Amino acid sequence: MTWRPWPRGLRARLVVAVVLVTVLGATAAAWASARSARSALVDSARQRLAQTVAGQIGAIAPELTYPPDQGTLDRLRAAVGPNTLVTYRNLRSADDTGTEPVTGALRSAVRARHLIATQVVTAGGRPFLLVGTPIVITAPDGARTSSGIEVYTGRDLTDVEGRVDDLTRSAAYTAALALPLAVLLALLAARSVLRPVRELRDTARRLAAGDLGARSPPQGADELADLAVTVNEMAESLQRMQADARRFAADVSHELRTPLSTLMAVVDVLATAAAGMDSDARESSQLAIAETHRLVALVEDLMEVSRFDAGTARLRLEDVDVAGAVRGCLRARGWLDRVELVAPDGVVLRLDPRRLDVIVANLVGNALSHGEPPVRVQVSVSRDQVRIEVADSGPGLPQDVLPHVFDRFYKADTARPRTPGSGLGLAIALENARLHGGDLTAGNIAGGGARFTLRLPRNQEDG
Amino acid sequence: MKRICAVLAVPAVLLLAGCGIQPSGVTGGGQAPAGVAPGVTLYFIDAHSRLQPQFRQTGRLGSISEALALLLTGPGYSGLRTGIAPTTVTRVGVATTPGVTEIHVPFTANEMTSLGIDQIVCTALGVHVQSGGSRSMKVRIIFTQSTPESNKLRTCPLIR
Repeated sequence: MTWRPWPRGLRARLVVAVVLVTVLGATAAAWASARSARSALVDSARQRLAQTVAGQIGAIAPELTYPPDQGTLDRLRAAVGPNTLVTYRNLRSADDTGTEPVTGALRSAVRARHLIATQVVTAGGRPFLLVGTPIVITAPDGARTSSGIEVYTGRDLTDVEGRVDDLTRSAAYTAALALPLAVLLALLAARSVLRPVRELRDTARRLAAGDLGARSPPQGADELADLAVTVNEMAESLQRMQADARRFAADVSHELRTPLSTLMAVVDVLATAAAGMDSDARESSQLAIAETHRLVALVEDLMEVSRFDAGTARLRLEDVDVAGAVRGCLRARGWLDRVELVAPDGVVLRLDPRRLDVIVANLVGNALSHGEPPVRVQVSVSRDQVRIEVADSGPGLPQDVLPHVFDRFYKADTARPRTPGSGLGLAIALENARLHGGDLTAGNIAGGGARFTLRLPRNQEDG
Repeated sequence: MKRICAVLAVPAVLLLAGCGIQPSGVTGGGQAPAGVAPGVTLYFIDAHSRLQPQFRQTGRLGSISEALALLLTGPGYSGLRTGIAPTTVTRVGVATTPGVTEIHVPFTANEMTSLGIDQIVCTALGVHVQSGGSRSMKVRIIFTQSTPESNKLRTCPLIR
């Protein structure tokens, strides 16, 4: 799996964005509240402990002899509690725990200001509050002077830290609770966006496949509804343009028919007179005759295509022996000796024999004129369909031509603009096959040569 | 998915980094305690009938009742006199409530001059202030016989 820088699906992107925003917001809020709660907790613990220490010292101070001796300092230290250091000039009274509950910064703050000073430190992985204070001498008139006695004591903050951790944990849980909610909301939002998008996509696909009647009903009044309306308008406009083009083709071919009938009559007269002409005039008149015939064929093909487009083409169904019909088609055009026909007898199919004749004649005519001999026509029968394959032994169809062989007026060889035939033959053959409920496909044989396969469904009563 | 996890990990790490109690700098924590003193100050009366402080080197400040007991035993031979009648009972009861200190003296109101009352008030207030107490505290002297004098809230003229 390749690493993708960002999820591509709209749903995934929406979910990721909403979850990210939610998590970041919730985390920031939780972090800020936990932080302020922590500083409030620590501050209150700091003040409480400092007050306690000051109270303990104040309670015993009037009983202390001054200037103090070692015994006095020891009494004071015992009164303040464990983890305490008391100093007076060169005298000091300390616990035998080894570590002194004092830092240089704390000591200088105590000496500089004659006030209680506190500091949070970490010792042995546990947080401690250091409280340092001088003891002052107050004169009866209120003047305060330093007594030179300093008391330093350390108080464990582990329980405060436990409460801070609880606060942080509950804040984190609250933030985590927002996560599934965010995913749910994002999925809902994605669904409301994606459903219309999916419908639009399906409509666009149907339009691309040729179903110009496809529409998507606009829902609501948002941008997606606007888009749906626009797509519908586009489809309508396409439909109108296509209908216009088809009507024009139909009208043109219809209008051409009457003058062409006249022209044909003239050409017939010309043909009977051609025998008496000199060679140049005969050649010209024969060219005129041939081109007129071609023009008539083209107009007939155009009218046939117009009938398919207008949906007015009708099947005249009869019970037809397939092998006989194919053979009859080849014989009528004088191709029997140039085409190898393999057809089992007795395959009777209910179809329109004229349209089958059109298909077979077109396929075999193409094979004879564009491919190389031998040309094979093979009729095979399976349980639910009849296959008629027309194959030649030429070079086959180029890969870039294959998808377009059934397009109208598609010219495979642009260097040869004048090909016999109207350019509509295969398109009409395909429409005829579809009219029967069958299909016509083009492909190449492994050893070379093009192969067209006509599949016709077998009659309902046989199936 | 890897990317999402990485993005989610950032706030988680932030959250964890915010845990616990961080070491801090030195912060002020209020008034330093007081109360040590080389002795106690008593108030007597000099030749001009004025209150006069007398320092007694007792080695420590002691309590209000200790100071008053010393006061009741008299000025000694210092040229000062006392406005309190001599007595063999030097024990006084002291009860401290916020703002008011009540002193039960073993006298009637008639046995004391107003200067004597000031002596007791100033001595008690002096010890209170030296212990770190407030100078705005009032003193109520309660005599052995019930009298309106017992209800007066008094202050020392020397300690304002």
